[in-house]
Order: sequence, then structure tokens, then C-alpha cells
Amino acid sequence: MTDHIVLENVVFTRGVRRIFYDVSLRIPRGKVTAIMGPSGTGKTTLLRLVGGQIVPDSGRVWVDEQEIPKLSREALFDVRKSMGMLFQSGALFSDYSVFDNVAFPLRIHTDLPDQMIRDLVLLKLQSVGLRGAADLFPSELSGGMHRRGALARAIALDPKIIMYDEPFTGLDPVAMGVIVLLIQTLNQVYGMTSIIVSHDIAETASIADMVYLISDGKVVGAGSPDHLYKEDSPRVQQFIKGLPDGPVPFHYPAADFEDELLEEIPNR
Amino acid sequence: MWWHAIWRKPEWKNWPLIVTQIYRLGVLSVVITVMSGFSIGAVLALQGYNQLVRYGSESALGLGVALVLVMEIGPVVSALLFAGRAGSAITAEIGLMKATEQLSSMEMMGVDSLQRIVSPRLWAGFIAMPILALMFSVVGIWGAALVGVEWLGVYEGAFWSGMQDGVTFSDHVLKGIVKSVVFGLVITWVAVFEGYDCQATSEGIASATTRGRCIFVCFGTGTGFFPDPYHV
Ligand SMILES: Nc1ncnc2c1ncn2[C@@H]1O[C@H](COP(=O)(O)OP(=O)(O)OP(=O)(O)O)[C@@H](O)[C@H]1O
Ligand SMILES: [Mg+2]
Repeated sequence: MTDHIVLENVVFTRGVRRIFYDVSLRIPRGKVTAIMGPSGTGKTTLLRLVGGQIVPDSGRVWVDEQEIPKLSREALFDVRKSMGMLFQSGALFSDYSVFDNVAFPLRIHTDLPDQMIRDLVLLKLQSVGLRGAADLFPSELSGGMHRRGALARAIALDPKIIMYDEPFTGLDPVAMGVIVLLIQTLNQVYGMTSIIVSHDIAETASIADMVYLISDGKVVGAGSPDHLYKEDSPRVQQFIKGLPDGPVPFHYPAADFEDELLEEIPNR
Repeated sequence: MWWHAIWRKPEWKNWPLIVTQIYRLGVLSVVITVMSGFSIGAVLALQGYNQLVRYGSESALGLGVALVLVMEIGPVVSALLFAGRAGSAITAEIGLMKATEQLSSMEMMGVDSLQRIVSPRLWAGFIAMPILALMFSVVGIWGAALVGVEWLGVYEGAFWSGMQDGVTFSDHVLKGIVKSVVFGLVITWVAVFEGYDCQATSEGIASATTRGRCIFVCFGTGTGFFPDPYHV
């Protein structure tokens, strides 16, 4: 098993809603893998499964040949030291400055002297363009800056695996170009296994080696970006071209709209 | 899981965290504790004097006030103030960290949030609460002396010597300290738990904050007598 991350027949339910019916996928080591799919299909959920924050109902999740759901708390924390995750919401610590946020994992997991930590932090901040904002607090940042700060924190320890949950949202075109380049560099220079969850098809396709398309709780398409562009499955084509009509639903599952409009409001 | 993460001896590295929490939970509660300690001591002296003087035993005022403060009112009232001020702050803070995924992101970095967030707060409560309670009692006694001796004219020697003879460390002071240590643990425990357990919404945080305080008020009243703290 040479793949870095492997999911096998994963089933996951939230309340009564089944998010994953049967998801199997392999994420190769040292490559950029993109996870795409309509909003609400469970892309974030997938990353949380890989990080061991939630446990599948059945099926298996391996990272580096360790079975994540079976690890003890300590072992799981150890594995996570080699993972970085950019949260969809950024999730910077609100009572730390940007600098201290990025320094946090370094201070906890390494014994580096302060001077070196400072240099490392400034380096990471420079790479996301926030060195000048080092002393600001998260509440003083714009949405895009917040996410870039979170990105700097996620890569602070140079993890072996890095998961980006929507790294491009809220970025202007210039910042977008820089971040795309950064993700590419991290992957090529440090060999980080990278997982990108994103809706920006063009940007993602330009750096991804492999794309998984998830919809309705299943993997509906997999392969290199070129391969997917050529695939003639209607689901894949609809998603890639962004067509409003087709098998990929835009709506959260609901009763028939006409019926609901005509329905009498029950007495409350 | 909880016990394990929390009662592991705190690492030296974590001392700054504990000290920060002692400051935020303890030191910032000093003003309110001292103020209510003073007024409660003064009121106790006034009412106590009015009753005692009818039997000509106003010289017992010092002893009575000191016992009541050190053993009962000190630990309980200062704990209620602590629950209202520090407990609610803990619950709201942790609830918000949960709602904004800060706890998740910390855990994803391989940092145990129980150890990092919960443990320093518990230790801070454990350390700060008895000190606050003692402060409350000391200031209360001082307030009582001011009213009793300076204003109502109780003989000063009797006031203090009665207290010295009647109040012993092991029988009375220690009991008060033990009480407030327990209260400190219960308050921070409940507050932290409510924060972790709350619904990750603004309403969830609000109701968790209230619930935490209510639980403690019931507990505090249950373990002693109790005058309503908010009418002091
Ligand atoms: N804490 C939760 N409790 C219950 N249901 C949840 C919870 N979090 C997510 N869900 C449900 O799980 C499904 C998948 O959510 P997820 O966040 O993984 O979607 P996503 O693919 O990341 O969407 P987006 O692209 O909009 O971020 C959604 O339908 C959502 O309603
Ligand atoms: Mg998502």
C-alpha cells in the first residue's frame, strides 16, 4: 500500500442523513489531489474523517498505513502532528495575534529557540503576504486575510499531509495566483501530499494531479483533470461546466416545491 | 478521558497558562469579592449587635461574625460571585471557541484541548477560590470591626480577643478553606463542561452560560444555608 491516504467503503451518517454511502478513494503520496463536488455533499466531512475528528459508521480510513479510527487519543495526536489542515472558516485563535497563531504549533511541538521560531513564522507569513499584519488580531483581519493567516499556520510545521478546505474562497485574483503557486511549491519542494477541496475548477485543475468528484454520497468521477474533462458521464460534465440542469442537484433534498407552496400551513 | 487529561500533573511548560488563568479568573474577581465582603461583614455586625446588645453580650460580636464569615458566608458567597463572574466567562469563552472551530483546529494540530484549555482553568479555580474566600472573610471581619468597634462602640479588646480565643485554624479556618476548594473545583468543572457541551450557536452558548450558573447556585445553596447573593 503505497498510497498516503486510503478510504475503503466508508459509510457515514449524521443524524438521519446519510452523508457517505460507500466511499472508497486513494490519495497518492506527494501528489496534489482535489476533492470536488456540489456544496453539502460532505467534502469537509471527508477531511474530518481523514483527520480522525469523526469516526465512520463502517469502512476504513488509513493514513500512512495506520488505521485512524482505531488509534488511541495519544497516537491520533501524534499522527496529526504530521498533518496540516486549513479549516473552511480559518479558525484562527481569536485571542492570539496572527504571529502567535502561526507560532503556536511551533512553540508546542518543537524546542526551537525563540529567535528561530520568529524567523520561521515571518517566513511563513511572508509566503502568504501577511508579514506586515503579524501583530494584528484575527478580529482585525478581512475574510481573505484570515484564511491566509490560517494557511500560514497550517503549514507552519511543514507537515507531510496538508488538507486545504476551500483555500481560494475570498481571495482576489492576485492573491489567488500567489496561493496557487504556494500550494504548488509546497507540494513540489517539500513533497507534501496535498488535498484540495475547492469549487474553483480552473485553478484546481491547473495544479491537481488527480481529481475525485463526489456527489450524493458516492465517488462519481475520478482521474486526472484532463481525463475528467473528457469523461462523458452527465454528472461530471454538468459539474465541470457548471450547468444548472442535470443530475447534480443544486437544492438540499426537499419536498416538491409546488406541493410545498400549495400546502396549507398547519395550525400552530 | 476527561480525568486522564486533566489530572495529569501540569507540565512546567503549562505554568504560564495557569498563571494567566489565575489572573483572569482570580485577580479580576478581587474587587467584587472585596466589596461584597466588606458590606456583608458590616451588615452582620450591625444586625448582630442589635440582637446581642439586648442580652448585654455584644462583646461576643467579633467571635460570632468571624465564625459565620470564615466557615459559611465567606466560602459560599465568594463562590457564588466567582461563579457569576469567572464561571460564566469560562463557559462563554469555551463555547465560542467551539462554535468558531478553534477547538477543532487546535485538536487537528495535535494539541489536546482538554489539557491546554480545561486543565489550566481547573487548576486556577482550585488555587484562586480559597484565596478569594479568605480575602472575603478578612475584609468582612474588617468591615464588621469598623461598624462594631468604631461606630457602635463595642469594646475593642473584647471584639478581637473573643475572636482569637474562639476561632481556631484546624476547626474553623480549615473547614472554610476545604469548602471553598471544593466550590472552586465544582464551579470551574461545571463551567468548562457546559462550554464544551453547548450547542455551537449563539443561543446555545447563552443557555449554557446560564445553566452553568444555575447548577452552581443550586449546589451552593444545597451545601449550606443561604441568603440570596444578588440582594447584597
Ligand atoms: N455538525 C453537523 N451536524 C449535522 N449535520 C451536519 C453537520 N455538519 C455538516 N452536516 C451535514 O453534512 C453534510 C455535508 O457537510 P459538509 O460540510 O461536509 O459539506 P461540504 O461538501 O463541505 O459543503 P461546502 O462545499 O458547502 O463546504 C451537509 O448536508 C450538512 O448538512
Ligand atoms: Mg465544506
